[in-house]
Amino acid sequence: MSIVKSWPVGVLGLALASVGVHAQETIKIGVIQPLTGSVAYNGTTDVNGSKLALDEINAKGGVLGKKVELVIEDGQCRPANSVSAAEKLIQRDKVVAISGAFCSSSTLAVMPVVANYKLPLITGVSSSAELTEKGNPWFFRATETDALLAKAFSKILYDQLKLRKVAYIGVNDDFGRGGVAEFEKQMTALGATTVMKEYFEHGTSDFYTLLTKLKSSGADGVFVAAETQDGSILVKQKAELGLTTKMFGVGSWATPDFIKLTGEASEGIYAAVPYASTMTTPKNKAFVTAYSARYNEAPGKYSAAGYNAINILAEAIARAGSTDPEKLRDALGRTDYEGPNGHFQFDSKGQASGFSVVLVQLLKGVPTVAATSTIER
Amino acid sequence: MDLFLQLLANGLVIGTFYALSALGLTLVFGLMRVVNFAHGELYVVGGLLGWSLTDLVGLNFFLTLAVVIFSLAVGGYLIDRLLMARVRGQGEEPTILLTIGLSIFLTNTALLIVGTAPERVVSPFANKPLFFGPVVITQSRLVLVAISAALILAVHLLIQRTTLGRSMRATFQDSMAAQLSGIRTAQVYGFTFALGAALAGAAGMLLGSIYVAQATIGDVVSLKAFVVVILGGMGSFAGAIVGGLILGISEAFWGGYMSSGYVDAIGFGLVIAMLLVRPYGLFGKHAERA
Amino acid sequence: MIFERNCLWGSLAAALLAPLLFPNQYALHIGVLIMFSVMLATSFNLIIGYVGEFPLGHTAFLGVGAYTAALFSSRLAMPFHVAVLAAPLVAALFGLVIGAITLRLRGPFFVIVTLCFAEVLRLIANNWIDLTNGPMGISGIEKPVWATAGDALQQKMAYYYVGVLLASLSLFVAYRFVYSNIGRAAIAVRENRFVAQSIGISPFYLGLVTFVLAAGIAGLAGGFYANYVSFVGPEVFGFSFMISMIIMVLAGGKGTLVGPVVGAVIVVLLEEYLRDFKELRFSIFGLIVMAVVLFLPRGIMGFIARRHESYPRGATGDA
Repeated sequence: MSIVKSWPVGVLGLALASVGVHAQETIKIGVIQPLTGSVAYNGTTDVNGSKLALDEINAKGGVLGKKVELVIEDGQCRPANSVSAAEKLIQRDKVVAISGAFCSSSTLAVMPVVANYKLPLITGVSSSAELTEKGNPWFFRATETDALLAKAFSKILYDQLKLRKVAYIGVNDDFGRGGVAEFEKQMTALGATTVMKEYFEHGTSDFYTLLTKLKSSGADGVFVAAETQDGSILVKQKAELGLTTKMFGVGSWATPDFIKLTGEASEGIYAAVPYASTMTTPKNKAFVTAYSARYNEAPGKYSAAGYNAINILAEAIARAGSTDPEKLRDALGRTDYEGPNGHFQFDSKGQASGFSVVLVQLLKGVPTVAATSTIER
Repeated sequence: MDLFLQLLANGLVIGTFYALSALGLTLVFGLMRVVNFAHGELYVVGGLLGWSLTDLVGLNFFLTLAVVIFSLAVGGYLIDRLLMARVRGQGEEPTILLTIGLSIFLTNTALLIVGTAPERVVSPFANKPLFFGPVVITQSRLVLVAISAALILAVHLLIQRTTLGRSMRATFQDSMAAQLSGIRTAQVYGFTFALGAALAGAAGMLLGSIYVAQATIGDVVSLKAFVVVILGGMGSFAGAIVGGLILGISEAFWGGYMSSGYVDAIGFGLVIAMLLVRPYGLFGKHAERA
Repeated sequence: MIFERNCLWGSLAAALLAPLLFPNQYALHIGVLIMFSVMLATSFNLIIGYVGEFPLGHTAFLGVGAYTAALFSSRLAMPFHVAVLAAPLVAALFGLVIGAITLRLRGPFFVIVTLCFAEVLRLIANNWIDLTNGPMGISGIEKPVWATAGDALQQKMAYYYVGVLLASLSLFVAYRFVYSNIGRAAIAVRENRFVAQSIGISPFYLGLVTFVLAAGIAGLAGGFYANYVSFVGPEVFGFSFMISMIIMVLAGGKGTLVGPVVGAVIVVLLEEYLRDFKELRFSIFGLIVMAVVLFLPRGIMGFIARRHESYPRGATGDA
């Protein structure tokens, strides 16, 4: 037994030693995103945005005179993996803060871990409303919740698109179910009726049965909560079946991946998103240019999310004047950040407000802004 | 009525696809008594190879299909001779474990090379909807059903009418007797596995033109193939076709009239029921050996 | 038998002393994972090593145990020891039902039908929102009092020692089972089913007893896991746990009691060490499985046991 146990001692020792040497030189920020699995597309773009922010920060000399470093882990959008990743980042890599973990249930699982070890966690993506209701003082959410988004746009959908008989389709996870629940609540309150409500699994490749049901349900509009991979297939198959029902979605619908994958089938679809590359805020143009130059495609919702998260953290570290967790947390609470999609400030629960969300319509592959709304505190 | 017809059409189409993708599996089991747990991964390799040739290189669809079939046949032959042959006499468990290990390796190596993104095999057939009364179907799906049927027929002829096919059937019936009559059974095993792999790969490429070619779908494909093969009977051609259609239609109707959530469970429920009532499936024929 | 027993005592001693050598949270976290894996591997080993069948759906019992403990803790607000006691009992019950159905089949049919059961359970966990909260899972499972006292390091240590306790319990039960009449009869069935039947052993009944025991141990592991991670989702029924189990038992040595322990240590360390090489990790696992099947079919402990036997000492007995 001892033969087997001795070599890991060496390994762990070396790993810990090497970490110790570097800790003086850089400030480490942990990133937990899904790099594999069915939302890997989106997780990867988040990391891309994060890296862009990192380079911009380091080009200006870093923070507190030191370079910033990102330590990236694959949470796979799974709570258990994300928790493991968080443990490793905190214990082995000694990060000062974490950005992650994309899916709300993963973020939810990581929250007690950061509370236990006392360091800040920021998410630019997780939209389940309950995260900021947990009373975890170390958690900050730099994006909208499903509830806020639903409230912002339901009226427009009801009035402008004249949606009266609505079908709801969501991916079977907290995001899909949460999105459907929130929008259904708002639309029904305005007077629409629900004619169908169905969920599908991550990674489904054949939506014909679901779409056939949609066709026979007589809906005049369908709400879809799905990410790039599943959503693009759904949209393409909808076109294959010749369905002309008005469709609008939340999730990755205005991202360039999605548009590229769906091609013509995306024409006319509406999406409610916290970021679109066609937004006309002062900072967006520079962001879009830098991102496109580096990654050969326009940024989408998740790119902006990653970009914002890292920038917010870096600004907070500078504001705190140190990487001490308590000071950093307080500094985060006083965030006053201008991102490509607007202004960010956190309330006492860690929920951001002041930034814009848009309703876009995909016309000829361009997410054209149809309406803008600001998330109020 | 419209709903019923459309669901039926959906079920028949997808059932044919299930049958095609399960064919390689049932063949390998029927002729070699080996359950190839890497079947789904061979499907994936076929799909990814098909995508890279049609999309990245721009090769013609049918030429790519030929290349995929040939490459997977070679790959399958090598897998059999280098890996499976070593554990052939040792019973069922080592081959099961070996193919599971192979499947893990193939999936993750594919992930390493290609990444997780879903890709499409470029198809020359349009995806525009064709309307047959109340039923909608796309041109590409129709063509694919036709190609699947052609492939199934071709394999059937191969096994029933050619010398190679006869050697295969002889080796299955009694490998000792086959060896005694001069058949090089080692090679026959290799060719059989190659055929199974080639079919899996062909299915992967064809279906990759209307669904996805992706490194992570191997497990799902294997599972569905198992369901089809058990329903229809391991080793039976007709069984694979009937099993596939039954699965496709049941899923379509359940999903259409009930909910989409438990659709996948239908297949498993059918398997469990089938294994209790008629373990050798609807068309299975062999007896238990001591 | 004596060799095995000595190895097991040695491992226990090492496990008890380990926190003194590595008093940091990350190492203890690995330690907890190792204890969990030992339990899982032992339970899987009972079926594959002593019944001789390959339950590819073994995660069913891990999952049932995890969800039971989670539901008892969060919905019924039961304390830790009740939840962790309920987990193996419910899992054993499932083992009884599933075993009664599946043990009639053998070979690849058994493999596939157990897989089907695990998948059905996963689908239920994923879709029966009212009971299991679907893919969102059950989170925020209350930690027991002894796990919230003291600082973070002491909490981890508490979990670690509880893990050692549970793992030792599992191994003790497995040991007593294997070296009992029932255990020996099960081995007889594994070696030659028909001869065993001819002397009056009922393969089905024996298989069922072993199956239920294994299910119980897997359920215990699941309950412990649920409490430690404080989150349970449908992925506990998923294939990644299955892969770990396969490698742990295969590489460690199936049909031996120490094999799973060795396998668990190796696999957990490999998984954490290879965390940096994410995608490569599983490719390597696949290669390891194939290599073990081809070149080291009895695993490490099997190999060592064979070597040990070939030394001209006294009778050492074989499991």
